[in-house]
Amino acid sequence: MSKQQVVTIKGTKDGLILRLDDQCAYSDLLEELGKKAQDPGLEGAVEVQIHTGSRYCSDQAAKEIIQIVQSAGHLRVSKIQSDVITMEECNRRVQEQQSETYIGIVRSGQEVRAKGDLVVIGDVNPNGHVSAAGSIYILGRLKGKAHAGNAGNREAVIAASWLEATHLMIADQMETMTDELAILSEHPEMECAYLHTNGFIAIDRLQDLRLLRPGLSTFKGGS
Amino acid sequence: MGEAIVITSGKGGVGKTTSSANLGTALALQGKKVCLVDTDIGLRNLDVILGLENRIIYDLVDVIEGRCRIQQALVKDKRFEDRLFLLPAAQTTDKNAVTPEQMKDLITELKRDYDYILIDCPAGIEQGYKNAIAGADRAIVVTTPEISAVRDADRIIGLLEAEEIEPPKLIINRIRRNLINSGDTLDVNDITSHLSIDLLGIVLDDENVISSSNKGEPVVMDPNNPAALGYRNIARRILGESVPLMSVDTGKPGFFGKLKSLFSK
Repeated sequence: MSKQQVVTIKGTKDGLILRLDDQCAYSDLLEELGKKAQDPGLEGAVEVQIHTGSRYCSDQAAKEIIQIVQSAGHLRVSKIQSDVITMEECNRRVQEQQSETYIGIVRSGQEVRAKGDLVVIGDVNPNGHVSAAGSIYILGRLKGKAHAGNAGNREAVIAASWLEATHLMIADQMETMTDELAILSEHPEMECAYLHTNGFIAIDRLQDLRLLRPGLSTFKGGS
Repeated sequence: MGEAIVITSGKGGVGKTTSSANLGTALALQGKKVCLVDTDIGLRNLDVILGLENRIIYDLVDVIEGRCRIQQALVKDKRFEDRLFLLPAAQTTDKNAVTPEQMKDLITELKRDYDYILIDCPAGIEQGYKNAIAGADRAIVVTTPEISAVRDADRIIGLLEAEEIEPPKLIINRIRRNLINSGDTLDVNDITSHLSIDLLGIVLDDENVISSSNKGEPVVMDPNNPAALGYRNIARRILGESVPLMSVDTGKPGFFGKLKSLFSK
């Protein structure tokens, strides 16, 4: 067996990158990683990124690697990057990217859930509930409850032709739309709710959405 | 083969039973053979409003449990020869005495002999409601211009839309002209746009509805009553006629109205 470098260290301006070989045995890798981490040549506190290449790294394995690298005390792992993910993870990401459409009125006591974005064509009546892991877009009147980013996505927004909700929730933040709330407008037409940088839910005109959340636009093409 | 229509509302006290009695009577007045079925087991009223309380011998639970034939339990309203019948609810048992399948079989049997079967549904969305809608082909949702009644109607419409029946139609009951004109209550447009289902008709609030119900004579028998007109129009729409919606606002008297009142003094 040719003695090939299993762990290569590369310096960049953002810190060190530990590139781990993806063909060798996992046990060899850990052994080598342990030696490299104890290398007296590395001094002071250094941030390192770990690239595992085409090796799939389970959460358990990732923890183990981080523990070994940090055991010497002067290296700190900022992130672990891998070129491969499981099918399960892949499907989850695809679903999150997709948008589901509901046509009809979400009436009192009804609940509509989506794994990605949710488009409702129709009203959401009082005591109706719409919930999505992504953003919620309503072509109609939102008069019930809406929860965007229900899996923790703080970039998600709630947009409606008429935003008159009783409750708005984005990620783990909730706002009850009572009269004393200052963000409510007299004529809530074409508005969107988002998480402001101050951590609270804010409401703005729909036209401002492209500036507030430029990442939401997936349209690629000419002007 | 007749048609079974369930009259429901979710909320209590909006006029399901009154509407059932009046629509049944109005359809009988139009020459149709009608059977009213009271499914509010344990809290029956339809018989009282029709003035048939004293004639009840058997009831719905007796029929379902096989203690009598269906014809024995039906109470005939003598005012309409052979056109209006009532199948009364039981008063001594509760709503769990009947299952939706049994109701469905019963309604199917009644559909053979009658043009219209009107099913008076109990308030709520529990067993009684499920029994009432089991055999229905169509549904009528009754509401009043109150926010609580409209919310419950919304919930009921959502439940009805999940069933295998035609999209429900709406009756707005107990409309008070003066409150609508002063803008202190929901108007017809607010309610229909909120619920977004077809409006079957509106019924104005009238004191005679209560007094005639107490006498056991549905108000619809009085052709000059404004509430009766509402019910008669709805019955004609059920029969497929196209009847324009009556206007709610009487408004303030116009110029000629004032002139007329001046001379009539």
